[in-house]
Amino acid sequence: MSETTREPDARQIATDARDRVRFEEEALALSDQVYRVARHLVGSREEAEDLMQETYARAFRSWRSFQPGTNLRAWLLRILTNLNIDRGRKQQRSPDIQPLEEGDYFLYNKLEATGDGPTDEDQVVERLSQNDVVSALSEVPHDFRDVVVLVDIGDFTYADAAQILDIPIGTVMSRLHRGRRILKKAMAESAVGGEVS
Amino acid sequence: MTAYDPCAHCEEVMQPYMDRVLTDAERAEAEAHLDECSYCRKRYRFEESLRGFVRQAVAAEPMPVELKQKLIELRTPLQ
Repeated sequence: MSETTREPDARQIATDARDRVRFEEEALALSDQVYRVARHLVGSREEAEDLMQETYARAFRSWRSFQPGTNLRAWLLRILTNLNIDRGRKQQRSPDIQPLEEGDYFLYNKLEATGDGPTDEDQVVERLSQNDVVSALSEVPHDFRDVVVLVDIGDFTYADAAQILDIPIGTVMSRLHRGRRILKKAMAESAVGGEVS
Repeated sequence: MTAYDPCAHCEEVMQPYMDRVLTDAERAEAEAHLDECSYCRKRYRFEESLRGFVRQAVAAEPMPVELKQKLIELRTPLQ
């Protein structure tokens, strides 16, 4: 092989190396945000940590399939949700049994009814604890929780959530609507105690 | 047929209102009701506070430092 044909190869290798390093740095810079979502997509911290390592290992291996200029955070979350499904989460789903949901005013009404004294909106929120939120979120069925976590915690648009979960945007909207209501009912149960109706 | 209940309707559109996906006409209708109904207004304000509270509550657990280190170690070694 002559020098002239080898030269472009060397340049290509250098360009590839530079692009790969840049990709890995950008992906790592997003890891805190990806973890925050992952932590609430799965049941435990250990599962979230395993899933993060698998996700980043796969992302670093297949970095060439990422299209520069598109949403890297969404791309990473797409890998993560696919891996989560591969880990057997599908078998745990029970789509036929879904909790009853209440209206959107339900949580406020419950909190207002149980407290005494002033009912300023901010003071009513203070009747909830961080633990009420975290435990209520873990009770929301996966299909609904995925969407709530991506949109309300991960700040993804409906379109991004649809792409990450590979479901139609209309399904994102309906699951989000129901998921938030299920979450609020679970928060009411956690904060007020017992089965609320 | 049941009578139209403006508060029930306002409750029904609360999420799309907060997500800013209502049409201009639907939004104007909701706002007109909120202007005159303190019952619904209180619950909308609560929803706003609640969304911020949920976000803060779940963000309180940062990624463990050891995990970050493990992710860094997954990087491709430089040739």
